Amino acid sequence: MATSKNGSSRQRTNKTILGRTLFLAVVCGVVAFIVLGVQLYNVMIREHDKYQEMAVRQQTRSVAVSASRGTIYDANGKTLARSATAYTVFISPYEIKLYHEKEYKSNEKVYNDEPVLIATELNRILGADIDTMLEQMKDTKSWYKTVATKISAELANEVRKFKEEQSIAGVHIEEDSKRYYPCGDLACHVIGFVGRENFGLEGIEALYDDSLEGTNGSVVRLVAQNGTEMLFENYQNYNDAIDGNDMTLTLDYTIQSIAEKYLQQAMEANYIQNGGCVIVMNVKTGEILALANANAYDLNDPWGLPQETLDEIALIEDPEERSKAIGDAQRAQWRNMAVSDTYEPGSVFKIITMAIGLEEGVITENSSFPCYGKIPKGQIPGRDSDLNCWKHAGHGEQNLRQAAMHSCNVAFANIGLKIGAEAYNNYVRAFGIREKTGIDLSGEAGSQWWPDKDFLGWNKSSLASASFGQTFNVTPIQMITAVSAAVNGGYLMEPYIVKEMRNADGDVVYSREPKVVRQVISEETSALVADILESVVGDEGGTGSNAYVPGYRVGGKTGTTTKTALERQTGVREYMVSFCGIAPADDPEVAVLMVLDNPSKESGIYIGGGQMAAPYVGKIMSEILPYLGVQPIYEEGEEALLDVTTPRFIGSGVLAAREKAKELGLSLREVGAGDTVTAQLPVAGAQIAAGSQMIVYLGEQAPQEMVVVPDLTGKNVNAARNQLQNLGLYLDTSGASPAASGVKVASQAVEAGTEVPYGAVINVTLVDNSNLGRY
Amino acid sequence: MVRLGKNAAGAEQTEYAQMDYAGEQLRDRREESRRVERGAFDLPFFLLTLLILSIGVVMVLSASFARAYYKDGNAMGIFLRQLGFAGLGIALMIFLSTLPTAFYRRMTPLLVVITGFMLALVPFLGTGKSEVGANRWFNLGFTTFQPSEIAKIAIILLFAHMICLYRGKMKTFRYGVVPFAGILAVTVFLLILEPHLSASVIILAIGAIMMFVGGAPLWCFLLGVGVVGVVGFVVVNFFPYASSRITVWQDPWSDPLNKGLQTIQSLYAIGSGGMTGLGLGQGRQKYMYLPEEHNDFIFSIVCEELGFIGAMLILFLFAVLIIRGYWLALHAKDRFGSLVIVGIVSLLAIQVFLNVAVVTNLVPCTGISLPFFSYGGTALLIQLGEMGIVLSISREIPLRKKKSEDVEKS
Repeated sequence: MATSKNGSSRQRTNKTILGRTLFLAVVCGVVAFIVLGVQLYNVMIREHDKYQEMAVRQQTRSVAVSASRGTIYDANGKTLARSATAYTVFISPYEIKLYHEKEYKSNEKVYNDEPVLIATELNRILGADIDTMLEQMKDTKSWYKTVATKISAELANEVRKFKEEQSIAGVHIEEDSKRYYPCGDLACHVIGFVGRENFGLEGIEALYDDSLEGTNGSVVRLVAQNGTEMLFENYQNYNDAIDGNDMTLTLDYTIQSIAEKYLQQAMEANYIQNGGCVIVMNVKTGEILALANANAYDLNDPWGLPQETLDEIALIEDPEERSKAIGDAQRAQWRNMAVSDTYEPGSVFKIITMAIGLEEGVITENSSFPCYGKIPKGQIPGRDSDLNCWKHAGHGEQNLRQAAMHSCNVAFANIGLKIGAEAYNNYVRAFGIREKTGIDLSGEAGSQWWPDKDFLGWNKSSLASASFGQTFNVTPIQMITAVSAAVNGGYLMEPYIVKEMRNADGDVVYSREPKVVRQVISEETSALVADILESVVGDEGGTGSNAYVPGYRVGGKTGTTTKTALERQTGVREYMVSFCGIAPADDPEVAVLMVLDNPSKESGIYIGGGQMAAPYVGKIMSEILPYLGVQPIYEEGEEALLDVTTPRFIGSGVLAAREKAKELGLSLREVGAGDTVTAQLPVAGAQIAAGSQMIVYLGEQAPQEMVVVPDLTGKNVNAARNQLQNLGLYLDTSGASPAASGVKVASQAVEAGTEVPYGAVINVTLVDNSNLGRY
Repeated sequence: MVRLGKNAAGAEQTEYAQMDYAGEQLRDRREESRRVERGAFDLPFFLLTLLILSIGVVMVLSASFARAYYKDGNAMGIFLRQLGFAGLGIALMIFLSTLPTAFYRRMTPLLVVITGFMLALVPFLGTGKSEVGANRWFNLGFTTFQPSEIAKIAIILLFAHMICLYRGKMKTFRYGVVPFAGILAVTVFLLILEPHLSASVIILAIGAIMMFVGGAPLWCFLLGVGVVGVVGFVVVNFFPYASSRITVWQDPWSDPLNKGLQTIQSLYAIGSGGMTGLGLGQGRQKYMYLPEEHNDFIFSIVCEELGFIGAMLILFLFAVLIIRGYWLALHAKDRFGSLVIVGIVSLLAIQVFLNVAVVTNLVPCTGISLPFFSYGGTALLIQLGEMGIVLSISREIPLRKKKSEDVEKS
């Protein structure tokens, strides 16, 4: 065993080992753990928020839930724009590789099979390009490559079926929203359209984008690093989408359709070479009932261009210029002339001058305004040429009503001069001519008026020209708003289109009340103005007679201007013709303004607002007034001039037919010898001119032959009716009263030379040409 | 303390009781091994080991199911494997605890030779090049195993044996430093061939601890620290690989998707835990954000799910186990046993410390697993085997002292 020396050395060794073990125990068992504890405290408690935020950011995915865009309705609840669900198909190259590669390893297929299969099938279903998709699938880090957007539910279902049947991973379908415009191009410039991201680009869609689009929501969920959902995790944070507001417009589908129909007819009949627009406004409230421009486009394809435009553009060789031309053409067709363009209003503005003069008391209804064809140069300070009336012979002695009926420039220049520049300027401002109307449409332009110091100076030539609507520009919406103020009792209204908005729950969140900007003239003055305007249309010798509507008290004023600036620059003379009508004159409800830019002589119609625009404003009035519930009141003999709706004679006895025809003021020609009517011409329910001769067939059938339509333009009503009658056709008139002298057929709805069935009704537009002039 | 066989106290025991001087239990008892009386193993140490192991296996399930599910479609796969190895490991631990301490001493030379062969061969015949860029494993078909794990216990046993052999001469440079340093140098050289930095660090540390406890002169540790410092400085400044590790350590966000990824994701997990954690199984970082989530970075998941309180509780259990280990070392019957326990327990402490330090970015990132927690069959078997050796030694702690105390009290 150990010696004592060994024993003591062993003792020392033991002491060392013991001591050092104890030291280790303290270091490894206590100190080390205190160090770790401090470090854990730092990371877990002190920096907890920082790390947790960073961790959650990478652990969560937020998926957008798109809000449904609000529907746009017309005043009666007809849908003008709505959103429907569409689908987006996208592929995830990462998943395609991840899942299918695994499969190949076990099945010993070739990896490339799957991308080719996916591309081929998606091409078959969606028409997407195969090469593009194969290229997309090479980017295997990507989770999202769009294949097709805004596809229908049927196509989406087919893709889904393909996915399931072939158990394909990495092809996904996402819900999306697509905007539909059920009425096509109707009111296109008012409604506007949305871009690819459902972002409003034009019209109401653009101006009210925030209200319509709603607020997109999101679903935040926890995902694994590979993007799949975490197992057993139900942490989800919903942020509901708030759907956009539904919108009700003041626009009335029926009135809009009528306005568009007659604008189109006016464009065609008058060979209008530039634009044209029509506005129908409720004069009492400022509600826009219809607003249309001739350059309509399909809202469902706003980028599409008419074929003739495309053909023209195709001729441009330089590709850069070609794409520029396409862009220009698109912008041109989106342009809302009625609010974005200005024009020289011409004689329509005399309404304003007249109202100012009456309100200021410088003239009365009975003031005398002799016209000798011109105001010689020198009489108007600052004007170094004669101021000519459109009628060079002069209108002679006339009172205010007559001056208005004649649309006498000399008279109105004198009225303006009587009012004085300062008062005139102030009233013009009060009528809203010098500010934007504030209509809720995008792109409203302002007028071009003189700076105050120019207008108010010693030079009165501007004042004189302005008095009959020349040498300044306004927008059509400013003009109709000012006219409305002149006839509605004197209140300048703020025109508007959006009447009401409701949120997704149906609660009204916005309701528009008519807004009076200011009272400009007194109710008495206003009533007198309206009364005088009725004379312009309804009285013998009035320049607006072509807007006459039997049974309704339509008033109005014509406008014709030449584009003097253009003529000075290019030598080309272009006209701007317009007509602003109001009805009923005793208590005006609506105003209709039609502006036509650059009619052609080729039309054969005398260039002037009275001949070109007034008949169509009259036609619009003749349809919308009954629609608005205005009761017609026929004057003595007026009823006899109305078109007659043909009765149904078939099946009734010949005596009864005779009696009925007599009652309606129609003559009756009988063919055959039976007792009962077996056929009739024209068919029941047609509109034909008063005094027409109907044919009834007794025991026989009506002939089925075709008849060539004759040229009726320039003929008076009786001649036209007789000519048609001889051919077995019928006349139906619109426009000027057939009773007025000098009324001629200006245009016909069915072109001369067209073959129509025997017994067809030919609609013609009558104009009163007794009083031709640029008024 | 529970001890079986109290009544079996024989003649020898009485004999020892009379040899009453300080440190008696630290004698080198090699020659007397056949006569050793063995009692029950240390129950607290055993139970603590089982408790930590159980928590560890549960955490493997929590940490691994997401990746196992997405990768293999079987969420339970990794857990069940670990559970199997844990059962096997417990059996091994109990079996090893029944072998006498002397057996380990006898087996030491054989183990050293086998370890030497394996360390020499693994750089050439091992696997792992494609996964981690170093051949550190032997593929046994059903599992893989790291010779460096065996090397650790081999070094502990060998050094304990040598310290006993050189008793009284440990203060000298020739006996107390040279042979140990030489063996360590050869071992580290072989590990660098793989290369395997973290294992080298651990082997050096455990070797130094064995020398320290064995009584090697303190100045040699100062020298060692100096050498390590100089070498470290040179490596860090002149080897771009190492210096980039230091950069990433100081600011993981300097390379967030590559070298800094593990550390960043680990900090996200640990930081997310807060005081009480997201709840067992509720962690999110294991969903493929945090790499190695059931291996080296399992403690990050522990922190995320169990919070600061849970993490500290687990560290506390480790600390108690380790302190209990040193207590057993202090009471071991002979010097060899005492040294072996110190080695094994210190190894455990080093691994726990380094692992937690790595996942919290206290030290630069390197691959060190957390004993009883990290997934890995052979590593777990070896760790439990080491605990078995500690328990084996604990069986030979003499009852005498306690008994005499009891007598005095009565």
